[in-house]
Amino acid sequence: MAVHRAEAAAVRGAAARGRSKRIRRNIPLYLMFLPGIAFLLLFKYIPMGGLIIAFKDYNMYDGILGSPWVGMDNFNTLFNQMQTVAIIKNTLMLSVLGLVIGFPVPIALAIMLNEVRKAWFKKSVQTLVYLPHFFSWVIVSGIVLEMFSLESGTINHWIAKLTGEPFPFLYEPGSWVAIFIGSGIWKEMGFSAIIYLAALTTIDPHQYEAASIDGATKWQQIRHVTLPGITPTIVLILILSVGKVMDVGFDPVFMLQNEVVANVSNVISTYIYAFGIQRAQFSLTTAMGLFENLVGLLLVLTANRIARRFNQELW
Amino acid sequence: MKDSFGDKIFYACNYGILLLIALTCLFPLLHIVSLSLSDAHSIMSGIVTFWPRGWSIESYRQLFENTRIIPAFGNSAVITLVGSAISMIMTILTAYPLSRAYFIGRRFFTLAAVFTMMFAGGMIPHYLLMKQLGLINTYWSLWLPAAVSVYNLLVLRTFFANVPEEIEEAARMDGCGEWRMLMRIMLPLSLPALATLTLFYAVGYWNSFMSVLIYINETHKYNLTVLVQQMIRKQSVLTEMVYAQPDDVAEITGEGIKAAGIMVMIIPMLIVYPLLQRYFVKGVMLGSVKG
Repeated sequence: MAVHRAEAAAVRGAAARGRSKRIRRNIPLYLMFLPGIAFLLLFKYIPMGGLIIAFKDYNMYDGILGSPWVGMDNFNTLFNQMQTVAIIKNTLMLSVLGLVIGFPVPIALAIMLNEVRKAWFKKSVQTLVYLPHFFSWVIVSGIVLEMFSLESGTINHWIAKLTGEPFPFLYEPGSWVAIFIGSGIWKEMGFSAIIYLAALTTIDPHQYEAASIDGATKWQQIRHVTLPGITPTIVLILILSVGKVMDVGFDPVFMLQNEVVANVSNVISTYIYAFGIQRAQFSLTTAMGLFENLVGLLLVLTANRIARRFNQELW
Repeated sequence: MKDSFGDKIFYACNYGILLLIALTCLFPLLHIVSLSLSDAHSIMSGIVTFWPRGWSIESYRQLFENTRIIPAFGNSAVITLVGSAISMIMTILTAYPLSRAYFIGRRFFTLAAVFTMMFAGGMIPHYLLMKQLGLINTYWSLWLPAAVSVYNLLVLRTFFANVPEEIEEAARMDGCGEWRMLMRIMLPLSLPALATLTLFYAVGYWNSFMSVLIYINETHKYNLTVLVQQMIRKQSVLTEMVYAQPDDVAEITGEGIKAAGIMVMIIPMLIVYPLLQRYFVKGVMLGSVKG
């Protein structure tokens, strides 16, 4: 008995020493982590708290906490105004189109690059297609506006020569949307292909040999070996992209849009900028931002849940 | 093994399409280079395509003399250099504790950081916060909210966590504390990851546009992106006006100036591109490590 008690005490003592040692080791870690905590609180979580002005009538004098509550008024306004409803629709239209058209492009590009046997050719193409990713949208929009503008655009010079009549690419809703989506694809297709190229290297070359011996054509090999091999990566990227559906980037829309196509080009982010930052309608635009965020969060969680069914979940 | 006829067609199409894609990336750039180096008359008559006509550096001269492009370049450099330094220090200091298994609250803090990737305050709450802190019209409003990118944080955390335990234990035996462990062991072993993240941050700061547009109102503090974007915008407004009076030559040289402005943003990117390509491609792989 006495022996047992002594042992138990020893174990307790060791545990206590271990715990105090662990705490002592944690002191320098917390010192390091302090700026990180301050950053997360101040620049991530306090702005989240600032979202409460979506339910208030914010004014400068009373500040975020002092301004009067108005319940769901701002949301009612948002969902009953033609203009804001149209903006939400535009956002969805542009991003869903961008996703549906743009998503397969990097996959196809990666598969095509993977089939190239001449190393110098592959390397040159990669060098060129990765490049636009690093350009700011100012460069890309500058190039696009330059090429497609009605008056001085290069493409319209040729069209005018052929048909005598330039085409207002940037001023027709249909062609504007096509240019908007096309320039996004042009900018990112190469860089987005990298992740698929990495996935392609993990496919066992023996599978191709076996398929080839069985008489499978190149097309059949791609369908039955390549695509199944990168499906997990495709699903992963799809989840991430679906989560971003509400988030049509501010930069491309802001730089490519013009008054004439405003009814297809106004999206949530440009609306928040124009009415929030420029016209100080803080509460209304914060409500819009909160709506965008919540739908985005919901989409990521839903996409992940669906992926879980196929054992491809992110978390 | 010999290719079948079908496979030959496949390869021919494959090379053809890839070549076309590569050219769509190359030609727009050639076009901008050509415009920036052509004289006003050639630009106006629309004969400039993929090679300069009537060589002239007039556009660049006018750009440097008549616009604020040189100070804006300096501003971009300051924003990028200071910003990347702040971001790297903050990211390293935050990533190291999160990579330690014995760090108390590790799971909680990791989740707290990851959650901010999925949900954020958004433009207006951030703007009001910056206003409250008195950071409007200072570059701190660009640096502080972007100090740590959670994605980069997770990449570096995974990298630190994967340093072999034997090395760590050997260092502990020699009485290495946490700070020395970070400085002497972790950082030298993570140089490729650090290079990649520094480039990630630097490109982000160099290209920053929306934050400058929102937080910086004084024109002499504008960076290249905002300045050139405003030039392009003003230019298209100008073009509309000139469309009515096509004989205004001053506008057409504006076309060249615009191209020159775009080139000033492209050239630094091209200079560091070999580095970017090397490390970014690796960086994408680093990010794909689950952890």
